[in-house]
Amino acid sequence: MRPLHPVTSKQRAAYGLAFFVLFVTLWASATFGGYISKTFLASPLTMLKEGWDLLTKFGFLFDIGMTIWRVLGGFALAAIVAVPLGVVMGAYKSIEAFLEPFVSFARYLPASAFIPLLILWAGIGELQKLLVIFIGSVFQIILMVTVTVGNTRRDLVEAAYTLGASDRGIIGRVLLPSAAPEIAEILRLVLGWAWTYVIVAELIGSSSGIGHMITDSQALLNTGQIIFGIIVIGLIGLVSDFLFKAFNAWLFPWKLA
Amino acid sequence: MTKLKIDQISRTFPARHGHPPTRALEPIDLSVANNDFVTILGPSGCGKSTLLRIVAGLDRPTSGRVILDGKEVSGPGADRGMVFQSYTLFPWLTVRENIAFGLRERGVSEAERNKIANGFVHRIGLSGFENHWPKQLSGGMQQRTAIARALANDPKILLLDEPFGALDNQTRVLMQEMLLGIWERDQKTVLFVTHDIEEAIFLGSRVIVMSARPGRIKAEIAVDLPHPRSYKIKTTPGFIGLKERLVEEIRAESLKVAADA
Repeated sequence: MRPLHPVTSKQRAAYGLAFFVLFVTLWASATFGGYISKTFLASPLTMLKEGWDLLTKFGFLFDIGMTIWRVLGGFALAAIVAVPLGVVMGAYKSIEAFLEPFVSFARYLPASAFIPLLILWAGIGELQKLLVIFIGSVFQIILMVTVTVGNTRRDLVEAAYTLGASDRGIIGRVLLPSAAPEIAEILRLVLGWAWTYVIVAELIGSSSGIGHMITDSQALLNTGQIIFGIIVIGLIGLVSDFLFKAFNAWLFPWKLA
Repeated sequence: MTKLKIDQISRTFPARHGHPPTRALEPIDLSVANNDFVTILGPSGCGKSTLLRIVAGLDRPTSGRVILDGKEVSGPGADRGMVFQSYTLFPWLTVRENIAFGLRERGVSEAERNKIANGFVHRIGLSGFENHWPKQLSGGMQQRTAIARALANDPKILLLDEPFGALDNQTRVLMQEMLLGIWERDQKTVLFVTHDIEEAIFLGSRVIVMSARPGRIKAEIAVDLPHPRSYKIKTTPGFIGLKERLVEEIRAESLKVAADA
């Protein structure tokens, strides 16, 4: 091994898989070997069996669907508000000066701490879940988009001006296309965080969703179900990340050319 | 006939972080005739790029005015095409779309845009690369496209800020010939900034020599070499005589810069 020496894509896949195998092996030996009590940690096989029961007997697919819907819904709301605002703030420094301090402050307000307030305001229905994700995502997206748009290469902007671009042309034909790939990356990143917020939102005052299932299983000390739920979240995250990446690559071929 | 008039332009950059204000340009006067090719030669940091940026409208002069075709310049515009030293093609647009950028901004129809852009693609020798992205082009190809992009707008004057400065020597010589070929055929008013003496003589009908900071015009030398010029002219006695003269002028300025540093 030498620093920064590349690996082939086959090696990369093999190494990546090897760690999963190692992880499951350690887990299996700890549980099957009796080193850890079944009450605290279910074995991989128990987990799979519990997972199968969840899917076939307890309608877990519905919970998964609910959770995905909430993440995407809250995330889409946040993106619709935050991206245009971030672009405007990045483009116009006076608007940035007006809003940026507040957004920076709001960014540090933990979305989970809003849950009691949101239950008071919006009840325990879907709106409350969406709002948790919205609050958790919107300020992050605004700030990162602002920075990205503000960092547009000045020489490209100047070139566009000397080609006769209007101020609107600068925003529409330079700032936006130049920032678009990074905005897509920001959305991919924040979507990952939104998954954390949704589970927290479902842990409290919820009657469906993966988070709700996990709280239920906790009451029954069913660690197999809890672990299965967590793994499902991980898998969905992995798949959505992959899809997002592929979509971005398809959308911005000039970036990879 | 005067196309461009630079009237008592000066530029002082304001004081920052306890440093005194920097006088980049002393009041400068310069007239450029229609279809003239003027090269501005000076050591680095002499304010020649600042002068060009003021003409382009990208920087404001501290005093004085720039007058193009009788009208005072107040900001950047399509009537002054600019080619930068850094690669400034829009990376998300293809070669053809880059060349057509200004046309599209003016609302020219797509068919007309493509026709004009294709014509330029052919003239700069990039046929077959119309649909390539800038990332896929060499530095020389990118700068050729940047020149075509500026010319496609049919500007009144073409401003070039060391456009070949980042290219290797062989490519630079070819690019000079290409640019001169375009100028000889199409006639255009050109202001070309460089620190390369040979480049200044080979391209220009006049060479303006600028002094070290604060920049002002130190000498103005007419280049009486016949057109069309080929690279062979660089070894003629006339060319070498001019080069000797300019080497002396620039050397004096470079020494001043070195002493300041």
